[in-house]
Amino acid sequence: MTTAATAVSDTPGRPFKGEWIWSLVFPVLSVIVFLGTWEILIRVLEVPAWLVPKPSDFLSRLSTDFTTIAGHAWVTSKTIAFGFAIGVLIAVPLALAIVSVRSLERGLFPVIIFLNIMPKTVVGPIFVVWFGIGPLASVIIVFLMCFFPVLVDSMSGFRAVDPRLYHITRSMGASQLQTFRYIRIPASMRYIFAGMKIGIVKAIEGVIIAEFIASSAGLGFMIMRASSFMDTTLMFSGLIATASVALVFNGLMVAAERLLMPWARQ
Amino acid sequence: MRANGQERAADTGASIAGRGIKKVFGTGPSAHHALGPIDLDVKPGEFVSLIGPSGCGKSTTMLLVAGLEKTTEGKIEIDGVPLSAPLSEVGIVFQDHLLLEFRTAIRNVMLQQEIRRLDRQELRERADALFEKLGLTGAENRYPWQLSGGMRQRVSIARALVHQPSMLLMDEPFGALDAITRTQIRHDLEMLWLETRKTVLFITHSIEEAVGLSDRVLVMSDGPGKIVDEIHIDLPRPRPAHLGDYPDFAQYAQRVYTTFEKLGIYKFK
Repeated sequence: MTTAATAVSDTPGRPFKGEWIWSLVFPVLSVIVFLGTWEILIRVLEVPAWLVPKPSDFLSRLSTDFTTIAGHAWVTSKTIAFGFAIGVLIAVPLALAIVSVRSLERGLFPVIIFLNIMPKTVVGPIFVVWFGIGPLASVIIVFLMCFFPVLVDSMSGFRAVDPRLYHITRSMGASQLQTFRYIRIPASMRYIFAGMKIGIVKAIEGVIIAEFIASSAGLGFMIMRASSFMDTTLMFSGLIATASVALVFNGLMVAAERLLMPWARQ
Repeated sequence: MRANGQERAADTGASIAGRGIKKVFGTGPSAHHALGPIDLDVKPGEFVSLIGPSGCGKSTTMLLVAGLEKTTEGKIEIDGVPLSAPLSEVGIVFQDHLLLEFRTAIRNVMLQQEIRRLDRQELRERADALFEKLGLTGAENRYPWQLSGGMRQRVSIARALVHQPSMLLMDEPFGALDAITRTQIRHDLEMLWLETRKTVLFITHSIEEAVGLSDRVLVMSDGPGKIVDEIHIDLPRPRPAHLGDYPDFAQYAQRVYTTFEKLGIYKFK
C-alpha cells in the first residue's frame, strides 16, 4: 500500500503533485482537532459520562463491544438492503407501467402524490399492530421510505426522451421492445440513479426510526435500549456505527453508478 | 415496411410526388390547419430546400414525407408507391443532434445497424468511411458530451447516412451551430451529397443555406402553409464558402427577400 501510494505521488509531470494528499489530510486533521477539543473539554469540566461521553469512551466502546454493535449493524444493513431492493424492484417497473398506460397514470398518480407527501413513519405503530415487533415491520417502513423517490424519478426518466428521437427510431423500424432496450431503459438510468441516491438516504433514515419503534434488533433498537439504561456512551457508539453503515451504502451506490453508467463520468 | 417500393439500388435517390397534401391537427373548434393543400415534386437525387417563417408547416411537410405523420387529405408517393407506413429508407437529421448520451459517437451511428439488424462489419466500415469524410476520425469512442456542437451534428449526419438511405430529410440541421461551423459543415454536406446523390429535403430559415445548397428552393408562407415561390438555383458545384462571389447569388437571395416582403413576413420601412 505504502509503495503504491509513493509511486503515484512520485509520478513525474503530475500537475499539482500531492494535492490529493492534502484533500485527505485536512478532513482527518479537522476531525482530530474536533474530537481532541471535545475530549479536553469533558476532562477539564469533569462532565459525567452519562451526560456527554468522551470520544475516547465511545470510540473504545466500538472495539470492546464490537460483537454486539456489529451484530446490530448487520441486522440494520440487511433491513436496508431488503427494503431498498424491494422498493427499487417495484418502483421501476411500476414507473414504466404508469408512464406507458395513460389510465394508470390518471388513476394512480393522485394516490401516489398523497402517499408521497404523507410522513411514512406515521404508519410505524400501525405496522407494529399488523406485523408485530420484528424485521418485517422495519423492512416495510424502509420500503415505503425509498419507494417514492425512486418511483417519481424513474417516471421522469422514462419520459425524458425527446419525442423527436422516436421519429428517427420509427424510421429505423424499431419495435416497441427495441425502443425500450436501446433507448428508453438506458436513457432513464441517470434518473433512476438520482432517485435511488435519494432513496438510500431515506431508507437509512427510515430504518433507524423503524427499529426505534418496531424492532428487537438493529442499531436503532440498540440505541433505544441504551437510552433506557442511560448508557450514553453506547448511544454515541451507535451513532458512529449508523453513520458507517450509511457511508457503506452510499459508497455502494456510487460504485454501482460508475459501473453501470460509465458515460456519465464528467 | 418494404412495401413502399424501397427495394432499389443503393446509389440512387428516391422521388417524391405529393398531390394536394393537407394537414389539420386536431378536430372540431381546436383544429389547426397547418399545411396545404400543396403539391410537392422532388426528382430522384435532387436537393430541394423548403424555406419559410416559423410555423409555416415546413417540419410538418417533412414528417408527412417520412410517413411519420398521416396526411389529412391528399397523397404522397415515394418512387411511385403510395406512402402507408413510416418510410424506412430514409435518414433524418433535426436541429438538435438527438444523440444518445450513453452511447459513444460510433455506437450512436451503429444504432442503425443494431435496430435494423444489418451486417455489423459492413456497416462499421461504412461508418468509419463517413467519419473520415466528416472529419470525425479519432472521435469514435467519445461520448456526445465530449464533442463540440458541430461534431455532434456531424455524428448525427453520419447516423442518418450509414444505412445508405435513398432520401435525407433535414430539419434545420445547422440552426444551432455558430456561423463558422455552419459554413464548413454546409460545404461538407454538399461534398457528401455530390458523391452519393441522395434525394435531400432540406428545411431551413437561412436564405444563404437554401441558395447555397439547393438545386431548387421552395418558398413557403404560413397560415396555413403554402408553397408561394419556386426558384431553380443554377450555380456551379461545389459552391464556395463565400457565395457573394456569384453575382447570381445576390439575385436569388433577393428574390426570396422580395417574396417574404410581399407576403408581409418582412416589414421594412
